[in-house]
Amino acid sequence: MSRWPWAHLALAAGVGVSAIALASPAQDYALQCMGCHGATAEGVPGKVPGLAHTLVQFMRSEAGRSYVLRVPGASNSMLSDAQLAEVLNWIAGHFGGDQPAALVSPFTKQEVAAIRHTPMASVQATRREVVKQLAATGSAPSEDY
Amino acid sequence: MHPLDRLFEKSSRSLAQRTSRRSFIAVLGQALTGSILLPLLPIDRANRAEARTSPPDSADAHQAPSDDPQSCEYWKYCAIDGFLCSCCGGSSHTCPPGTAMSTIAWIGTCHNPGDGRDYILSYNDCCGKASCGNCSCNRNEREMPLYRLSRNNDVNWCIANTESDYHCTVSLILGVTGS
Repeated sequence: MSRWPWAHLALAAGVGVSAIALASPAQDYALQCMGCHGATAEGVPGKVPGLAHTLVQFMRSEAGRSYVLRVPGASNSMLSDAQLAEVLNWIAGHFGGDQPAALVSPFTKQEVAAIRHTPMASVQATRREVVKQLAATGSAPSEDY
Repeated sequence: MHPLDRLFEKSSRSLAQRTSRRSFIAVLGQALTGSILLPLLPIDRANRAEARTSPPDSADAHQAPSDDPQSCEYWKYCAIDGFLCSCCGGSSHTCPPGTAMSTIAWIGTCHNPGDGRDYILSYNDCCGKASCGNCSCNRNEREMPLYRLSRNNDVNWCIANTESDYHCTVSLILGVTGS
């Protein structure tokens, strides 16, 4: 069953539906992330990296957390530090799959503020390095993207 | 000899004395080359294409909201830039047969004057066929420049699809803003 029943209700009915009111951080995800990462945060294979399952994996290590906060979509987002922390924790909780977010520390406003604006020279090279480190200690996301 | 034959013989000889076969071929070549290159001149075809689209068309003009999904002024189209799928064999929220909905999209909000609420909407492009050409609309409420890529409506959202040809655009209701 979808975690976004409101979206399917609305899509199926089109105009005139009694659409469900969204509040942050679900609303922040819809307005700031969902356009590319999709309603179930699975991304588009080969084009847009998924967040479902993988965000929690990145949150296991310091390097992974730093990577997540510095990818363009996060660092350049219009969300405040507090909002970004909140929406990332919400994604980890809702789309974590068998990697429960409770096993990793949530992001904080202070952590986001300290890291998000540090430039990342190469997103792909950083991702490969982080994934290699994660794979040595457990489950890891794909190196692609 | 028939007078008409003599007239043609005389004019032909006169022409032959004044011109050469080479000059004739040169002139013919220029004419052919010119006619081939004429369509390559930098003419604004997009403008002409929009001019021949069927009404209703819209620039950024502020007009009264409409309840017609085939009108650019329909409330769900507050930031749409493209051809309305409702004029192309689909509806305001379904793609025409033979096209596939884009996997990525522009997401924003539009105010519905009917109930006074702000809705979260997704503009998805329908992909896989050449541009529809009907009902060209360009409204830009809360649209942002290209450096805010996810909020720019000039982007072809078919880029992440296997078939990236743009056909038309739909508007899907995702929810109501909660705050």
